[in-house]
Amino acid sequence: MSGETATGEGSTETLDRARSLLWRYRVPVGLVLVVLLLRPVISHPLLLGYEAIAATILIWMVFVAAFNLLFGYAGLLSFGHAMFLGFGMYAAAIGVSGRAGAPELPFPVAAAIGIAVAATVGYLLGRLTVEKGEIYFAFLTLAVAQAVEFTANRNPLNLTGGSNGVTQNVLPSWVESTRGQLVVVLGGLEVDWYWFVSVVFLVAMLALWQIVRSPFGRSLVAIRENDDLARAMGIDTKRYKVQAFTVSAAFSALAGSVLMVDRYGASQETLSVITSGDTVLMAVLGGVRYFFGPIAGVFVWQFAEEFLNDFEVLHLGVTSVDLSGVLTHWHFFLGALFVVIVVVAPLEGIWGYLRDWARGLYARLKGVAE
Amino acid sequence: MSTTELTREDLATVSPGWWAVAVLTVVLLALAFAVEPGLFIDQAIGGLVYGMVLVLVTLGLSLILGLMGIVNFAHGAFFMLGAYLSYSVVVTLGLPFWAALILAPLVVGVVGVVLEMTVLRYLYGSDPIVSLLATFGLTMMIEEVIRAYWGTAPLEISRPAVLTRGTDLGVTTVPTYRLFLVGVAVVTILAVYLLISRTDFGLTVRAGVQDGEMTEFVGVNLPVRFTAMFFLGAALAGFAGVLYSAETGMRTTMGETFVILAFVVVVVGGVGSLFGSVVSGILIGVSAYLTPVVLTALAEVTNQPWLALQIRDLVPYLVMILILLYRPRGLFGEEGFLE
Repeated sequence: MSGETATGEGSTETLDRARSLLWRYRVPVGLVLVVLLLRPVISHPLLLGYEAIAATILIWMVFVAAFNLLFGYAGLLSFGHAMFLGFGMYAAAIGVSGRAGAPELPFPVAAAIGIAVAATVGYLLGRLTVEKGEIYFAFLTLAVAQAVEFTANRNPLNLTGGSNGVTQNVLPSWVESTRGQLVVVLGGLEVDWYWFVSVVFLVAMLALWQIVRSPFGRSLVAIRENDDLARAMGIDTKRYKVQAFTVSAAFSALAGSVLMVDRYGASQETLSVITSGDTVLMAVLGGVRYFFGPIAGVFVWQFAEEFLNDFEVLHLGVTSVDLSGVLTHWHFFLGALFVVIVVVAPLEGIWGYLRDWARGLYARLKGVAE
Repeated sequence: MSTTELTREDLATVSPGWWAVAVLTVVLLALAFAVEPGLFIDQAIGGLVYGMVLVLVTLGLSLILGLMGIVNFAHGAFFMLGAYLSYSVVVTLGLPFWAALILAPLVVGVVGVVLEMTVLRYLYGSDPIVSLLATFGLTMMIEEVIRAYWGTAPLEISRPAVLTRGTDLGVTTVPTYRLFLVGVAVVTILAVYLLISRTDFGLTVRAGVQDGEMTEFVGVNLPVRFTAMFFLGAALAGFAGVLYSAETGMRTTMGETFVILAFVVVVVGGVGSLFGSVVSGILIGVSAYLTPVVLTALAEVTNQPWLALQIRDLVPYLVMILILLYRPRGLFGEEGFLE
């Protein structure tokens, strides 16, 4: 068959090959598109009208994607993932600022320490909890995260700054803040902060994508689908789960260290249960079964948060319709939406619906064309 | 399912290591008592109060989890709702505290029933993780309603005059309210136990958990009984909320704090055991209050001031991690439950 087409319709074959290549590398292409489109889209006057939030959204995407490696792929619901974000954030902030007698470290070293700490905690906690079943795992991660938050709040050795967090001298020397905008200065070359975050985003997301589609990632899916069967096939399920937890923790800490620069410091709120809950919400909202699910979830969530907060401040019009009373309570409506999604289709999320919708549209267009 | 059997059958044989730990604990407690008897008794009762509140919250959670397989994250929100409702009853309506003690749990129970009938009913038999997520969404909604209606500032109510006086215990004087709270909690826990183990209602619910179809064949209206169980669980959380908030006031973070603590209590006591929840609730409450006292006493005796760590909030989690390391199933847990 292929011989016939090659002689008769060479151009169709090139087109097909291009299409299959595009399909095969749809994730990297999609990630690049996210980076290129995110900032122009949200800074459109009809949407947010400002672009400062774009870098933050990218960082959150990395974090929630790391969380979803554990939840969506390995089937382990961590309800305390904020602590890993926090490890990266606090290690970077403490290291760069060199507070309370801690040695002043370059940002990459401090971030690496944070990532190492997060990975170690993830590994040990995983060893302890991963085989205890989903519900146990969720409680235990939640409880340990709560313990970490209390510890940070106690300001041990004057390192974490208690409820104030670490906010003094936290910017690395190569990041400059001019009129509220972050600029990366590398050897005379000035790069916008957004592009620096984009590089981190692309590298981290591609790494996660490689992990997800590697034999390791496939094994995780097998474990998620049927633990006993996976074990019968010779997969050391505990080891795989612990490794997934470790990797997820490390990537979360990476996101945390970049978020520290983005937010000018480490804050206590980041460690709270609320952040952990938001992480779960964003992932489920987007769709945990898909690589792009968390990305969609973060976008929708962060966008809604910024958009609605902005709305409240603006008090649209001369009559000044005060919507702030309703909109400050947008969590209520988001909670309702979340409940509906969970009850109707807990694993699909927004991305799942978009996919189905796009498939349906494609099928209909094809039908019309034929 | 022995969520309902308050037996001690599962106690492990006590090894020498555990004996050593027990002796060391007794020695440390005796030392702390010797250094400052008044403070010790004060904190022990404070811990008992805290533990009893924990037990009441956990009991509802455990009932719903053990009998219906629903992981109710919204339980902390029920607790918080009970507390804030008592504020409305006492301050806004001007009714006495006793009215709040009855009205607030009833309203919370009704809220629980509404949620059960509109959302949770569709989740019976599905993956527990789904119920955890759904109730997490419900928590967000309830907490947002509380913030919208009562605001975010901490509130408090005054206790009834009879209970504001102190009771002299020889070494120290404790507020009568604390003793009242412990007494009420003990009575409530006993009542719940009798309801589940000795009444027809408890029997049919337990039967329904074992074999729902068969139970319905013999003429039991199960959905109604499950809804009633949910009412009971939510009302217990609301009741605990009223009791606790009269002691320390209402805060918007109390819901999340207590739901996490309740889960810690469940894990330490062993998922699936009501008796375990009672024991571990009291254990965690008392140890959280006594650990700082013991550490302070140690610091004083050994002249090492750094030992006096204020780690009260951390103790429940430390207890949990220790228990998990040495007895992963929890103190009285059954093998294979929710694993």
